[in-house]
Amino acid sequence: MSLKNLLNDWSHYRKGIEDGGFYEYEHMWGMVVDLNKCTGCNACSVSCYSENNLAVVGKDRMMKGQGLHWLRLERYWDEPDMGGDDKEFQERGGSFLPMMCQQCNAATCEVVCPVAATYHTPDGLNAQIYNRCIGSRYCSNNCPYRLRYFNFYSYYEESWPEPLNQQLNPDLSVRDKGVMEKCTFCIQRIRTGKDKAAREGREVRDGDVVTACAQSCPTQAITFGDLLDKDAQVTKLWKSHQVELGKTKQNKSDEDLRGYRVLEGLNTDPCVMYLDRVREV
Amino acid sequence: MQTKDINENIAWAKINADVLRSMENPRKGYWIAVGACLLMIACAVMAEIYQYQVGMGPSNLNWPHMWDLYIATFVFWIGMSHSGTLLSAILHIIGADWRKPIYRFAEAMTTFSLLTAGLFPIIHLGRVWNMYWVLPYVSDRGIWPNFRSPLVWDAFAITTYLTSSALFLFIGMIPDLAICRDNARGWRQKLYTVLSLGWQGDDRQWRHFRKIYMLMACFLIPLAVSVHSIVSADFAMSIMPGWHVTTFPPYFVAGALYSGCAAIITLFILLRYFFRFDEYMTIPILEKTCKLTFAIAMVWTYLNLIEFASTWYSHDPVAKELLWAKFTGPYAPFFWMMLFCGSVVPFALAFEKMRRHLPTMFVVSLLLNLGMWLERWMIVTPTLSLSHSPFAWDVMWPSMVQWAIVFGSFGWFGLLFLIFVKVFPSVSMYEVKEMVFHRRRHAPSEETAQKLHRRADDPKPGAQPSTEGA
Amino acid sequence: MKRYHIMGLFSNFEEAFAAISDIRDKKIPGVTVDDVTLKSPIEHPEIEEILGDRGSPLPKIALCGAIFGIVFGFLFLAAAQATFLVQPQGGKPVIPLPSNIVLTYEMLILFGVLSTVIGFLINARLMTKRHPLYSEKVSLDQIGIMLELDEKHVNPVKDLFKGHKVVEIREEVAA
Repeated sequence: MSLKNLLNDWSHYRKGIEDGGFYEYEHMWGMVVDLNKCTGCNACSVSCYSENNLAVVGKDRMMKGQGLHWLRLERYWDEPDMGGDDKEFQERGGSFLPMMCQQCNAATCEVVCPVAATYHTPDGLNAQIYNRCIGSRYCSNNCPYRLRYFNFYSYYEESWPEPLNQQLNPDLSVRDKGVMEKCTFCIQRIRTGKDKAAREGREVRDGDVVTACAQSCPTQAITFGDLLDKDAQVTKLWKSHQVELGKTKQNKSDEDLRGYRVLEGLNTDPCVMYLDRVREV
Repeated sequence: MQTKDINENIAWAKINADVLRSMENPRKGYWIAVGACLLMIACAVMAEIYQYQVGMGPSNLNWPHMWDLYIATFVFWIGMSHSGTLLSAILHIIGADWRKPIYRFAEAMTTFSLLTAGLFPIIHLGRVWNMYWVLPYVSDRGIWPNFRSPLVWDAFAITTYLTSSALFLFIGMIPDLAICRDNARGWRQKLYTVLSLGWQGDDRQWRHFRKIYMLMACFLIPLAVSVHSIVSADFAMSIMPGWHVTTFPPYFVAGALYSGCAAIITLFILLRYFFRFDEYMTIPILEKTCKLTFAIAMVWTYLNLIEFASTWYSHDPVAKELLWAKFTGPYAPFFWMMLFCGSVVPFALAFEKMRRHLPTMFVVSLLLNLGMWLERWMIVTPTLSLSHSPFAWDVMWPSMVQWAIVFGSFGWFGLLFLIFVKVFPSVSMYEVKEMVFHRRRHAPSEETAQKLHRRADDPKPGAQPSTEGA
Repeated sequence: MKRYHIMGLFSNFEEAFAAISDIRDKKIPGVTVDDVTLKSPIEHPEIEEILGDRGSPLPKIALCGAIFGIVFGFLFLAAAQATFLVQPQGGKPVIPLPSNIVLTYEMLILFGVLSTVIGFLINARLMTKRHPLYSEKVSLDQIGIMLELDEKHVNPVKDLFKGHKVVEIREEVAA
């Protein structure tokens, strides 16, 4: 029976991402982060902690690099001639880069997982199955963005002592030790949005799903939506900045268009576009 | 000076007696060694129990250092396992008969270092209890492992290699087990009767035996190469600068043969000393092993240089930064020590005086293996400390938990080996007999021997025919 | 007529080889070299010329095992992948050839080795009882020539053995 299956669908099974891949995507969730608007306030990160039941590991373990911060705010300081050593106005040379899982379409983490615990959903998401994970940690090593975090300890007792366990989000699990985890684009919210649309008998509209980080950003630097939806805000932004999926180098008519994807030259095909910060020199 | 690989006129009864004697009556020192190994294993077991209960945290692993000593030591032990294949299979195929007195313990080393190496990917898992998910067993939920992952390739390769090398060791030992059976009493006789599978030295048995030995050697050589290429694929198949290197497969294979050879020298000297195998594990054989090791050391050095040069030439800024950090960064002392042990120390093998001096060779072989262990560590850790994302740059030192488990793995290997030498013949009796038989048959006449003899300082050239013509 | 098993043990290998040569040259009518079983502590590729080509099917068995490994290995992997469609893609096809080649190669060797070993155990008649005439000397340093003979040939063979400095002769009535 499998042999018949093999022979019938051989050419279909041999399709890589270059030929459109195996899946017909239902959605392609994507994001735009405008670094011009980012003030580095960390509200996105905090909301991510509370939405996704991220354990608070404590100062010592955080210093040891054993923290779990699905959305981290990277701070970089400019070269001195760009104002990096300005003592009086330190923020002049500082810039911020909020990094969450880039939901790559050609994800390097997916290929190396020995037990298929991380896979690609028909929503274009890079999903992590906690129950299947055996903790080989290869995915984290092979993520060029280093966006996968590992549960080095069990946290459910220490991190949420009574009555703090009441604050846990019931829509998703609390992970135990030995499991890899990462940003899911708030998959529980995506699920809720899709269910709501299905109940109302309509397609998912732009704005039905908002991630916790996008919702909490005070300057609205983060835009979230479906890249297959032509009317979505994200799609318009991607188009206006002439950034396309499936390319390792974008052809731009205008050098000043700010859109870029992090490390897209590695052919990971990430779904998050950043808008570069513009500043006076 | 001893120039012959082996004394051709040695009595066969003496061969049997010498080897069988080595398997009997363990002395006090043996039990002390067993006790030491057990203590080392106890350290590792305690560390592992702690890590099992608490999680991977106490090992000091962190983000981005998800792998460290466990994987480095895993690669080290896999490398060690290539010695047996080299001595048994490659030298068997090219017909180098000097391998015969020393290949048995090298093959045992292969099997035992694989048994040690196999523990590490298991220990390093975050959820050890689910390790069998890596294997392709049929499940009614239709879930399979991810065959794209080099870790699954590892599981396949190590299983295949362990099966094949254990069978190779066992098949090669059957005639010797028959000898043991014919000489043993009590529980040993029962054990060897079962294990020798009714071997009686028929021409039919020998004929098939010769065929299977050659066939398995032919299977094992490409297998050994593929195993270490697959282990290198754990790194080379990834996208990380410093790991994503095309020369990794040959580099790993060369490193594997290198550390295997060095370990053979170590165990050679130990066995020769403790079991008084002076007549079988002779200085000329040691010299040949040393020359082989030197050649492999130079291959390894060359591949190292090529890796540096191609990184330098690639203009990949991240890879170049990483290379520079290896030379000057926080791990630089270990990196230089690796280069010293791996590329400078082997020059000791190039000098005849040193090659023939056992204590020197013992120290040198240990240093070579230290260098090889450091090589693996220097592949895993500096790469993780520097990646594409500068925010994730970090320096990490392994904790006592990791060190204890690495330390204990040497005890585990030692214990297996100690049991082996007392239960199984660590010198192949029948093959030493073959070697002696064929050398005596083909020994050159005295005149040819004199002609072939080149050493000026030999006392009586005629009395010691050279082995050149054999 | 009674059949006898007779075995001569030689400590001088050259004499033993000469004895086999004599049997091959039909020094004793009615006894052929095909009746000879050589028992030796070491392997003697050079004796095979005297004993005649008795062949070994092991290389063919190894080849069959290896080919089975390739076919089974690839089909097993491809069939597993084709039924496991939620597997991680990473932009790769469902059936990626490079990784399947690596794994098929391992299967080739695994099945090649296993079939060779099984073929060896069967062909070499291992895991059977030792022959009653088996002598422990054979595992030490003596070579044994064993023949299955009719009664009338026993004495000529014994004489032949004695002519070649036999150390010990053992005999029994074959079942």
